[in-house]
Amino acid sequence: MKRFRTLCKRMTILSMASMLSFSLAACVDSSSPQESASTTEDGKTVITMGRVTAANPKLPEGDTYENNAYTRLVDEKLDVKIVNQFEAEGEDYDRQVALAIASGELPDMMRVNSKEELKELVENDLIADLTDVYKERASDNIKEIYDSYGGRSLADATFDDRLMAIPATNGANAPNMVWIRQDWIDKLGLELDKDGDSLITLEELENTAKAFIENDPGASGNPVGIPFAHWLNAGDYGGSALTMSSVAGVFNAHPRHYIEDENGNITYGSTTEGTKKALGVLADLFDKGIIDPQFGTRTWDDIMALLTNGQTGIVTGPWHIPDWGLSAVREMDKNAEFVAYTLEGDNGKANVFRENPTGSFIVVRKDYAHPELAIKILNLFYDELGNATDLETDYPEIAKYNELSVDGSTRPFNIEVYKSTSTLDDFSDLILPAVNGETSIEDITKAGIKNDAKTILEYIENPENAETSAWAKYHSRMKGIGLIEKLTTEDTFNWTTPVYYGTTATMEKKGANLLKLEEEDFIKIVTGTEPLDYFDTFVSKWKKQGGDEILAEIEAELAEQQ
Amino acid sequence: MVESKSISARIGRIVIHTIVITLGLICLLPLWNIVATSFSSSEAVTANAVGLIPVNFTTETYKMIMEDAQFWRSFGISVQRVFLSLIINMVLIVLMAYPLSKSTRVFKGRNIYMNLLIFSMLFSGGMIPTYLVVKNLNLLNTIWSLVLPGAVQVFSVILIMNFFIGVPKSLEEAAIMDGANPLQILVKVFIPISLPALATVALFSIVGNWNDFFSGLIYMTKVSNYPLMTYIQSLSINIEEMLKSGANANSLENMMEVSNKNLNAAKIVVSIIPLLVIYPLLQKYFIHGIVVGSVKE
Amino acid sequence: MKVQTAKTASWTNAKTRKQEKKWNTANSVYHLMMLPGMIFLLIFSYIPMFGIIMAFQDYIPAKGMLGSEFVGLEHFIYMFQLPDIGQVFRNTMVIAFGKILLGTFGAIIFSILLNEIRLKFLKKSIQTVVYLPHFLSWVVLAAVVVNMFSLDGIVNQILSFFGLENLNFLGSNSLFQPLLIGTDVWKEFGFNSIVYLAAITAVDPGLHEAASIDGANWWKRVWHITLPSMLPIILLLAILSLPNILNAGFDQVYNLYTPMVYETGDILDTYVYRIGLLGREYSFGTAVGIFKSIIGMILIISANEMAKKYTDRKLF
Repeated sequence: MKRFRTLCKRMTILSMASMLSFSLAACVDSSSPQESASTTEDGKTVITMGRVTAANPKLPEGDTYENNAYTRLVDEKLDVKIVNQFEAEGEDYDRQVALAIASGELPDMMRVNSKEELKELVENDLIADLTDVYKERASDNIKEIYDSYGGRSLADATFDDRLMAIPATNGANAPNMVWIRQDWIDKLGLELDKDGDSLITLEELENTAKAFIENDPGASGNPVGIPFAHWLNAGDYGGSALTMSSVAGVFNAHPRHYIEDENGNITYGSTTEGTKKALGVLADLFDKGIIDPQFGTRTWDDIMALLTNGQTGIVTGPWHIPDWGLSAVREMDKNAEFVAYTLEGDNGKANVFRENPTGSFIVVRKDYAHPELAIKILNLFYDELGNATDLETDYPEIAKYNELSVDGSTRPFNIEVYKSTSTLDDFSDLILPAVNGETSIEDITKAGIKNDAKTILEYIENPENAETSAWAKYHSRMKGIGLIEKLTTEDTFNWTTPVYYGTTATMEKKGANLLKLEEEDFIKIVTGTEPLDYFDTFVSKWKKQGGDEILAEIEAELAEQQ
Repeated sequence: MVESKSISARIGRIVIHTIVITLGLICLLPLWNIVATSFSSSEAVTANAVGLIPVNFTTETYKMIMEDAQFWRSFGISVQRVFLSLIINMVLIVLMAYPLSKSTRVFKGRNIYMNLLIFSMLFSGGMIPTYLVVKNLNLLNTIWSLVLPGAVQVFSVILIMNFFIGVPKSLEEAAIMDGANPLQILVKVFIPISLPALATVALFSIVGNWNDFFSGLIYMTKVSNYPLMTYIQSLSINIEEMLKSGANANSLENMMEVSNKNLNAAKIVVSIIPLLVIYPLLQKYFIHGIVVGSVKE
Repeated sequence: MKVQTAKTASWTNAKTRKQEKKWNTANSVYHLMMLPGMIFLLIFSYIPMFGIIMAFQDYIPAKGMLGSEFVGLEHFIYMFQLPDIGQVFRNTMVIAFGKILLGTFGAIIFSILLNEIRLKFLKKSIQTVVYLPHFLSWVVLAAVVVNMFSLDGIVNQILSFFGLENLNFLGSNSLFQPLLIGTDVWKEFGFNSIVYLAAITAVDPGLHEAASIDGANWWKRVWHITLPSMLPIILLLAILSLPNILNAGFDQVYNLYTPMVYETGDILDTYVYRIGLLGREYSFGTAVGIFKSIIGMILIISANEMAKKYTDRKLF
């Protein structure tokens, strides 16, 4: 069998080489990585991998992506040696994957970042069927995690009833929030959210922004109102900082998402009446000077500067924005404090959309001798380690990594696999009781969560002198997730589940053009270059230039699935 | 040049000096700003408070670079690459430019070569086929993958060829009389007389190889093999693109830790220093360039 | 000089036979000299050109170039059917042409002016300084440009100081193209002037002296001596930059534009890039690249022929 495989590979290489010309064929060395034996000299199984890295992995001196506490753990527990065929991040990783596919030398296991790429691999019969190994080897806990998505997650990786990949999970279901400087609210004696349901109205938002502009509580001399990003809408919740997502939510509109309207027809969120109303609100606010007058040309860095300079104290964003965005404000101003609200919908609810449950996938090369190892790694990292009760004793090296907050990308699979509600559960079951003193921090079994709880307490005990990271954790957890928890408990959410997250053929061809149209026209409407009714022109242009085709394709694809 | 004593000439001189110095200052500003940024605290940089004077002066960034092993490893790879490329490029440039500077009467087939060169400058097979060739030659993750694909600098060959054409025929003929063969003529006559032009294309080769980051991204599959500019590029992250196309809490957090703008500014400053050192070395060739004699046909 | 030419001619005639043999050996030496370079060109330029067939396929990496479906000219037709393609072409050419034209002028004028500076130290320092911006990538420079040209940036502060109306350079469709061209000239003129400086040093100072003695002023000397002697190199560089007429500078535009200025700022490369982000459109990208190459080839060949016709000198 192995001989046959080697022969096949030689043939492929030979044919490719002869295609390249004879001069090159002579140079082809037959000892390419895949030719090498899949075991090391000391009998360990080798897995070649494509690894998604992070720019700042924070690995301790001497450790690398190929040799670190996690790979050593795999070595020790599974007798497996991980060899990286390529390491890269972001776009560069996607390019390396494409090059690997093009050259016909896939690593044994790798991450693919889109459903389209996965589809391509499946259709061309390049990756292994994991149905059986998943059924036989996946631990109960892992199965339970996937089941918490009601089958949506595994379905994404399933083709013709065969599971072709391990899907990463993405349970980020939360409202886009409005983050406001609490210290400024206090300073000016403003009153917000009188009924205490953590929802504020558009009018309250406008009045607060107005008060900030008139009184300049940041003493910047040049207050600017609410800044928005010129792209106005992002593809998902994680990227929703500075978008109009929360304003659209007021009218139960979800731009950039494909949803079902009240008649059961599939529509594009950016073309709905609700989005028009939201744009109308923004245009009005821009006209009144409540929105940053330089909206449209501000870059991300500009807006961060506005925040840190005290020129603005209101931004929209996801629950985690304090961790990576707002923390800069606190670096400049020790007294800075934020509060998070969600805008109240015209139906009195917080209108939110559900996130795509799957982001990326782990695939195993077809004919790889040990596909079960993928599931074993899955069990090891997302069940055994994830649920380990005493990390310090059982996995001292990993415990040290947690302390150093080494990036998760250093694990063999750079994916997250957790229950759909885990962020919220961890908060309400573990963090909140500990912070409130109902339980002891030491009782928290999950290492990462324990760290979070500790840092939050550090901040609460001494807000003045706490580290910025503690300030950030406090805000993202207690204010951000706290808001989600409250709205969930009080049943304030009105969920919309988009019907389609993928990319159709027409989207690939015409999507860029349609997006350009959308971005251009939305800015024109908000800045008043075009009247609000121009929105209808936009909608008809959108439909004509490919939108109708896209909707038909989605409908056909969904019909096929049922 | 003869000194001109008239007042108008003197005014002219002042005007020229003013213009040239102003242009120099305008070009200095961005780099000055980056140097100031590299010596400022990261909060000041985030607040966009740094102009031409460092705010909250710190040398922390440079200390961090000194300790950044990968930075210096990449630095070394870049130096190696520039050195190898320079040798190969220059040898091939003069070797090709000389025969091409002959007329078709003298060098039969000259036009075929020329057309092949021009065609290769205009058309390229693209990233994937070139990658396949480099991979099949087993050059991935070697310094040669950065050097060999750019071995022939067509633009420079054409430039030098044109300088060679301008070399007075009498010089060559004299050498032929002395019984020199083409290679000797090239080395003894053409190269010495074209030093300013050769210094120029040498500079192009050095600058081009030092600045190129893309081939590192394709042919090096591990960060530890990246040349310097590829390494620096991998640290400059486009948050806007990330937000637009979708992001999660972890990736955003990690990215923010990297987007240390004062540190990145310091890295840029250090990465430019070698080019600042090289330039004056070559500069003397094109300021005191050996003057081509007045002998023209 | 005439005498010398005649002398050379007679020498050539006398030695024709001996020379003939010499030329023959020389001819093979010339081929040998070309050989190493041509081998590199074959391996790294010509062999990968089989990738051009991707433009006529729906290339899918997993299927490879042999297995992907052929679609003929579909990608080219598709390119011309894109709704904004006319606008995008116009933007690309206006921006690229502006950059080539003003960039060339800027570099020539600067090199002539710099050549007049006699303080060696000053001359060297300025030359070094103006070449610096070339080394800063647009990712870095864009931040500087945005700071300078935003509504509260230094440029508008200067405008206000002189009582002029503030201008929204980054958000105005009429100002964005001049901004792109201007900042690009600023970034590159110093580096581009290097070749011209090398050309100026090749001018015989004797000519200038003779002209001065004849009473020619500075302007006349530049016009009649410096510029004519630079002309071949100016023409050569101008012709070699022609294929760039459809390359308007992706990095610069990408880092400076916003949807507000798509109308005048969106160029072919940014447009293709955005299409590529959604689908991994290798084939489409290749097709656009080939289109650019063909336009470039037509331009460069006709320019070369024109140069031959009017200046009696082919450049390659």
